[in-house]
Amino acid sequence: MAISIRDNFSLATPEAQGPMARNDVGHPSFTITIDGKVMQAYEGQTILSVAIDNGMHDIPNLCNDEKLEPTSACRMCLVHIEGAERPLPSCNTAAAPGMVVKTNSDELFHIRRTNLEMMLSDHNAYCQPPCQVDCPTHIDIPGYLELIAKGSMKEAARLVKEVLPFPFILGLTCPAPCQKACRRTLVEEEIAICRMHGHAAESCLLDPPVPYEKDPTTGKRVAIIGGGPAGLTCAYYLALKGHYCKVFEMQPQAGGMLRYGIPEYRLQKDMMDRELEHVWQLGVDLQCNVKLGRDFTIDDLLAQGFDAVYISIGCWTSNDLRVPGEDAEGVVNAIAYLGDKVEGKPILVKEGKEVVVIGGGFTAFDCTRTSLRLGAKVHTMYRRGRGEMGATQEEVEDGEAEGTHLQLYVSQTRIVAENGKVKGVEFQRNKLGEPDASGRRRPVPIPGSEFVLECDTVIPAIGQAVDTKVLDEKSGVRWTKWKTVQTNPHNFMTDRQGVFSGGDCQMGAKTIIECVAQGKLGARSIHAYLAGEDMKEVARRLELEERKPDLFDIVPYKPVEPKVKMPMLPYEERKRNFRLIEMGYLREQAAREAGRCLQCACPAAGQCDLQRYSIEHGLADNRFHDGEASDYHDYDMDLSHSFILRDPNKCINCTQCVRVCHDVIGPDCYGMFGKGFDTIVSTPFNVSLHDTDCVSCGACAQVCPTGSLMMAERYLTRYSFALDRCIFCGDCVEVCPHGALGETPNFELSFFNRFGEDVTLEKDDLANAPNYLVRQRLPRDKKSLPVMSPLVRPLPARGIRE
Amino acid sequence: MPDFSKSYRVLRRLKDLDVRSLAAYRSVGGYQALESAVRKQTPERVIEQVLDAKLRGRGGAGRLTGEKWRITRRAEDNQKYVICNAYDADSRSYAVRSLLAQNPHQVIEGIVLAAYAVGASEAYLFTRSLFSEGIAAVQAALREAIDAHLVGRDILGSNFSCTINVLAVDIGFMGGEETVQIAVIKGRRGMPEQRPPFPAQYGLWDKPTAINSVETLANVPVILREGAATFARVGTALSGGTKIVTVYDVPPASGPKVVEVPFGTPLRDILAHAGVDPRKDEVRAVVVGGAEGGALPISLLNTAYDFDPIEEAGAIVGSSIIELLPYNTCMVAWAMERSRYLTNESCGKCIPCRLGVKRITGILEGVVSDLGGNGDLDVLDEFGSYVSNGSLCGFGVYATTPLKSARRYWPDHFTMHIRELQCPTGTCVPVRSHRFVTKHVLP
Repeated sequence: MAISIRDNFSLATPEAQGPMARNDVGHPSFTITIDGKVMQAYEGQTILSVAIDNGMHDIPNLCNDEKLEPTSACRMCLVHIEGAERPLPSCNTAAAPGMVVKTNSDELFHIRRTNLEMMLSDHNAYCQPPCQVDCPTHIDIPGYLELIAKGSMKEAARLVKEVLPFPFILGLTCPAPCQKACRRTLVEEEIAICRMHGHAAESCLLDPPVPYEKDPTTGKRVAIIGGGPAGLTCAYYLALKGHYCKVFEMQPQAGGMLRYGIPEYRLQKDMMDRELEHVWQLGVDLQCNVKLGRDFTIDDLLAQGFDAVYISIGCWTSNDLRVPGEDAEGVVNAIAYLGDKVEGKPILVKEGKEVVVIGGGFTAFDCTRTSLRLGAKVHTMYRRGRGEMGATQEEVEDGEAEGTHLQLYVSQTRIVAENGKVKGVEFQRNKLGEPDASGRRRPVPIPGSEFVLECDTVIPAIGQAVDTKVLDEKSGVRWTKWKTVQTNPHNFMTDRQGVFSGGDCQMGAKTIIECVAQGKLGARSIHAYLAGEDMKEVARRLELEERKPDLFDIVPYKPVEPKVKMPMLPYEERKRNFRLIEMGYLREQAAREAGRCLQCACPAAGQCDLQRYSIEHGLADNRFHDGEASDYHDYDMDLSHSFILRDPNKCINCTQCVRVCHDVIGPDCYGMFGKGFDTIVSTPFNVSLHDTDCVSCGACAQVCPTGSLMMAERYLTRYSFALDRCIFCGDCVEVCPHGALGETPNFELSFFNRFGEDVTLEKDDLANAPNYLVRQRLPRDKKSLPVMSPLVRPLPARGIRE
Repeated sequence: MPDFSKSYRVLRRLKDLDVRSLAAYRSVGGYQALESAVRKQTPERVIEQVLDAKLRGRGGAGRLTGEKWRITRRAEDNQKYVICNAYDADSRSYAVRSLLAQNPHQVIEGIVLAAYAVGASEAYLFTRSLFSEGIAAVQAALREAIDAHLVGRDILGSNFSCTINVLAVDIGFMGGEETVQIAVIKGRRGMPEQRPPFPAQYGLWDKPTAINSVETLANVPVILREGAATFARVGTALSGGTKIVTVYDVPPASGPKVVEVPFGTPLRDILAHAGVDPRKDEVRAVVVGGAEGGALPISLLNTAYDFDPIEEAGAIVGSSIIELLPYNTCMVAWAMERSRYLTNESCGKCIPCRLGVKRITGILEGVVSDLGGNGDLDVLDEFGSYVSNGSLCGFGVYATTPLKSARRYWPDHFTMHIRELQCPTGTCVPVRSHRFVTKHVLP
């Protein structure tokens, strides 16, 4: 009678087998085939352990540990076994002679990947904050938002100042790349990350926190050419490191583009000076009205005894329009225009004039909105579409709302001048052609679509460049083909030893935050240079630090909480004045907004198996966002234990902690509770781990494949024990799961030292030593286990099942 | 239609003699099988007869009981166990409680015979605490049997001993799973273990354990008493004997009817025997197998009630419940309800079952609430096979049977909900206001 084997839950009659070959210690052995490789296996071994013993480590598993009895809960180690209908978990299936195993297939990949997707769909936690990764200066954003939510404004400002010296200025002017990455958008809307550090810094502008204690003076001197964002940042951090810095500035006041490029309505200069004051308070000197190339050279500086030079001269020349009539009166350099306005010098634009601004970047809109505030009628002309503009969408919308006449897809062809004075600009309409090198579609002029726009003033704002005339060949600093200062891309040293460069002059015109980030890295590099380090090694280190980590998508579950909108100056009140348009948060508003942060940070990131496998399986999206509250769990964390931090939100119910605590260590602190979807590993009655029999051994945190159980930071350096009670049994050495008391010559009870200083024995020798009684170990073979009444605890740890 | 009057072997009917007392049970030939086995037959001979009778496991998997016993018998170990699975995972099944209440001695005789056959000296009767009448009856019977030296030390004067422990718990649906019962007896949380290794080799306290359904064991005395050939005369070529089935009519006349029918009886005849008349315009589907069972359309009522034909049709023998759904049932809503129930009954151990079934429920809730999208059906089909391929125990493997059968026979119900945003029977009400959305964060 033939009955088919219906499923794997029924067993087949085992075939009679001949006696197995035995290895040299008498253990029965046989061979199995895994992925085409023949491997030796011993009786009672699982497929997974055979694979690992034979150097094959690519079977994923999240719930298995060699110390523990297998549970096969994670379903990651499933493999195909020839003759079995369904995939079986390799961690729990005993190897049998002649078994043929396949560890990879499309089906297995799909099951494993879906398992990971499922785990992450109820994993109310995050790896690394993408905002922090995307911020060029890598501010600890979750950290300072938490502090603001608690109301510790000064501490928040201090935390930001560790990497960004000007949180107030950037709070008003940064285009906020961090906010584009914010994970809160998966719930409803991003957090006003950028405005938050502005708020925190504003509250303590006159009593600024110092990010960390200033180092003692080193006696080294650094010259910084250019007092803009990059130069001042570099000076700030070098001064904190104890170096003397002197800033050489060509303008009458420090600040660079912050002062001369950003209009008053976005950044009030008196407030800015308060924050720049923090730099001078650290002992940085400033000399104004001196210009590189005109008043001094690099060689002069080095001759004056400066040990290093930092060139951060920025991009101060506007690109030419390259159309006829450009030199007519009424064509105004955009940078000069903004600078003159700040300086209070007479400018051409005034009430009743008609102004044409050409360009689509931040500078173009600064010129546009400045001219509007002066009462002029303004046309902003851009040769591509809205999506290609360099300025942010908010900036464009604000400009239009304030009254500019925006025209897209138009290129200037000539400036119409009469008697040397501007009368208008001729434009030609464009259509979009093929994408160019930058990926943006190239505008192609439509013949015959020319038109003339009448005006009094033309402000071309189509990009800025470095003034290359300031450095000659003799300086030893070379230029790239884009006419920027050539440096090593990671340590920012130019071709001349000891001369560094950063900021716009090194990158081409970029945002303020990128310049600040460069200034910070430049300071680190200069500090390493002054300490005499190998610059190649410095470059390698800085590159590693700046490398973008891998992240993947996790479904966040948090209740919806609307964004606290920044109160803005109404459009009608913006006319004819330069009042700050962002009116700022109230303290309570800031705390509420900062409290929305999801705190996307996990101390286990980088060591987490779940993260690693998810990256390996290319898991970039998840199908289970935006469900209802009942689709996710939001557990409370248990941080009450002194050494072990518990976050059930990251738990994947692998039960390794349950098993290691029960079977290996013994106190039995953990268990699985609840039923169905709500099953979770916890302590009995979910009490604090502190109130269980926990012995703080940390074995649970050690086996946890995610960040659900973490060791708290410890500052203990030395333990004392009662020497009069110790009998030198050495048990502590043997049970310590971390090997913290392990076989080190420094520890009295280790094998090295237990018999006095001159005895060092191998384990085998110890077993034969006449005066040493080996502790009786539990027999490996469970058949010879001592007979034990079933209900006596603790249960024996089960070995690999046969 | 077969002659059902001959098919009652374990279940007692009203007109039959009350055999709850030992004397009454003995008067109908009770414990003769045990006596002849213990006194005259070797355990191997007992196993041979059970094999010849083609007795297949009544718990749902349908394995040959004799095979299981043979493996347990051959395992080299000085201690073996027998567990009688009298739990009934689906509490709507009346098979176990009827059997325990009406025929406790036959169950006890079956357990002792199994222990004799596999060489066990200790047996557990694992039942559900809500069967209070059955538990009382079986405990009374056990006391009588111990007094009569039918259970305990030196049974019937031989050197064979076997004690029986009755254990009654209620841990929901999962309690019917064999490895869950082993875990509960050991005092652990009731969660299943991966097989292989099977309990027959590595069971309770790591010892070889024969674990059989109570209905299977109750059939063993019949086999030994009447002979394997007589036993196998009823049933099909592959499955000998009879099966206890609980039948539910469409509501409101839906009280359970417990019948015992030969294997291979068409579903239509089983319904007729239970006095249920499935009229085409009143009945949408017949659900075979209980909570994890599949729904079959009325046109398949001629399917034979046996393990393989039922599985081919898309249902399972499972808890052996046959239930009629009224004509106004929306099969999407039915699949959702089943999935929702199973989400809460999962033990939570393995990922595909704990989260996969939950996500299937969420998607089905979206479809029922007319929030479904075009991709949902593909995802449902994908998860239907993912959960059953990836899960650890039979619960997960069959957890998507309701969904798969509804998708197979009523695809129009799903498409109508998704394309026309309308319930095919007009009975569905929205149960959620957000559907799942796929989001991609990384470039």
